[in-house]
Amino acid sequence: MFEEKLKEFEPIFYPKSIAVVGASATSIKAGSLWVENLRSAGFPGLIYPVGSSGGRIGDLKILPSLRLIPGEVDYVIVAVPRQSALELLDDCAAKNVKAVHFFTAGFSETDTQQGRKLEEQMLDKARQGNMRIIGPNCIGVYCPEHRIPLLMGILGENGSVGFVSQSGGIATKLVTIGIARHINYSKGVSFGNGIDLDASDFLQYMAADPKTKVIGAYLEGTRDGTRLFKTMRKVAEVKPLVVWKGGRTEAGAQAALSHTGSLASSAAVWSAALKQAGAIEVHSLEELTDTLLIFQQFGHGQGIRAAIIGGLADGGGGNSVAAGDACIENGLQVPPLSFETKRKLSELLGEVGGILCNPIDVSQAQFRGLATLFQAIDLIVKDTIGDVVLIQEDTEILLPIYSQKGLEEINEFFIELAGRQNKPVIVVLPPGSVEANRLRIEQRLLEASIPVFGSMERAARAICRLNQYSCWQEAK
Amino acid sequence: MVMSQNLLTEVESKELLKKAGIPVVEAKLARSKKEAIAISREMGFPVVLKISSTDVVHKSDSGGVKLGLANAAQVGKSYSQIISSVKQAYPEARIDGVSVQTMAPPGVEVIVGMSKDAQFGPVLMFGLGGILVEVLKDVSFRIVPVTERDAREMIKEIKGYPVLQGYRGQKPASIPALEQLIVKVSQFVEKNPQIKELDLNPIFAYPDKAVAVDARIILE
Repeated sequence: MFEEKLKEFEPIFYPKSIAVVGASATSIKAGSLWVENLRSAGFPGLIYPVGSSGGRIGDLKILPSLRLIPGEVDYVIVAVPRQSALELLDDCAAKNVKAVHFFTAGFSETDTQQGRKLEEQMLDKARQGNMRIIGPNCIGVYCPEHRIPLLMGILGENGSVGFVSQSGGIATKLVTIGIARHINYSKGVSFGNGIDLDASDFLQYMAADPKTKVIGAYLEGTRDGTRLFKTMRKVAEVKPLVVWKGGRTEAGAQAALSHTGSLASSAAVWSAALKQAGAIEVHSLEELTDTLLIFQQFGHGQGIRAAIIGGLADGGGGNSVAAGDACIENGLQVPPLSFETKRKLSELLGEVGGILCNPIDVSQAQFRGLATLFQAIDLIVKDTIGDVVLIQEDTEILLPIYSQKGLEEINEFFIELAGRQNKPVIVVLPPGSVEANRLRIEQRLLEASIPVFGSMERAARAICRLNQYSCWQEAK
Repeated sequence: MVMSQNLLTEVESKELLKKAGIPVVEAKLARSKKEAIAISREMGFPVVLKISSTDVVHKSDSGGVKLGLANAAQVGKSYSQIISSVKQAYPEARIDGVSVQTMAPPGVEVIVGMSKDAQFGPVLMFGLGGILVEVLKDVSFRIVPVTERDAREMIKEIKGYPVLQGYRGQKPASIPALEQLIVKVSQFVEKNPQIKELDLNPIFAYPDKAVAVDARIILE
């Protein structure tokens, strides 16, 4: 599907050469920053700084005009004022440039006739010159595999998650949160006003891209809703598509108009369009990243029956009650353990109140040592009543009872457990009083590909969305 | 306010819908008391009379609707009453006459509407009729074209769905019939981009069918 996009977008995500217009040797301009960032990221292609100042950025000579570049140019990043936009496009056409990314702002998002007119003229020039435009008013492409960082030089690991964002700020948050939570992107793009290439084009590319397994999108609006709707419907057939629509409220919609020049539709119509297209709707950056994390890890849902394990050391009573509520209220099922598992558990841990329920409070194991704890968890995980295992880990309770060494042992056990299970194992690691220890554990688990969430509610919602996609596909 | 020349009358709207295979309670225009009685006899009693004027927005509030008329005498009397009370409420209104239709037996009231979204184009809305749609905004939306699956989901999505399944002895509504109706409205709207708004309100849903009792179409 959309295979033709792979070749068409090759010069955008894998350019052999990039020219940066608006670079300067003397002042700190966005253009200079781009050149520096591409250099330090280790971009494997040629970099051509262009600017009127002359001089050098490192070993790269700044050329006074794009036309003076000796070789071919695939991709141009533009960081000069909008007054130069049209002339610059003539230069690009003369150099047979394939794609032009305008970082420059001040177009239709200013809601002026002048801004809109300039965009129309730019589009005409691009069509005549057989070039594609990204933006204006955006930070463009991110491709870790090809060492193209975000504007601030941010570069995470190469992975399998694609993103399409109307906003550069949200694109940046997606990548930085991704770095913190081990959500690794295959590629991403912020397309701003999207006068030429817009969400539909990039979604089609990501659908075709073999490196991308799941797609996240932040959208504020679209110039062609019919095309976007049809595109999403097709994309969701082949890959999970998670969409966060910004500007759902009147205040948000007003901000979206001045941000990317997007017209408002009612939130209800957007929700309907997303559902109808088979996309998974989320409502915040947190939900978007939670959902991308779980899709990156598991790809598809295996069911919504959760086995919830809590009270690893102590304090399991109230937390187990709350965990059960959180899971059920967010769409999961929490069935009772099988008779056989209950019997084995009570043999192992002794007769204690509450233990035979799900959520399962295993705190009695603390009096029998870690080996017993691990055995108990093993029994619960093996019970076929659960499609997915949720473990609540409260670092501030575990640490004084088991010390740092015990804490590490417990988490290594989770990693080993997840490795030999064919059902998802997910850890809920709420913030608390021993943040440094908690963060170390979180990083260790994420490194080992165990999704970690800050609360049971968030974990439950993410699991439901994972299954929502599978159900939608099955019902086709 | 809507430009009156773009608003089709109920009779005109229903003719178009009927041609598109959408079940409607057929309405005919009577330009005189005599015509109203003749049409009523032809259709069979009881009948409903409604004012036919694109200038009259609130038909019932202005005394422009008479329900359950059982014989020719009642039809004749109602015709005069409708014309005079509408003239009083809307002195400037251009009146075509009165529409005559058979009185549909009561069913579960639902509505289907279409409006155009700035970004997605024609959007269908489904909801239960009356207070549920007005006060609780218990409606669902889908972008045209609406498939059978979309239609089924949009029916099941409303909170009032159990009402359609038969509640407190009320007969259930045929979900397949509603699905078919929604899909046909979607096809009708897709084929006729000049339609700006469409309202089937109410539709009576029965255990074996669903029929639009009132209809309104606004052209671009």
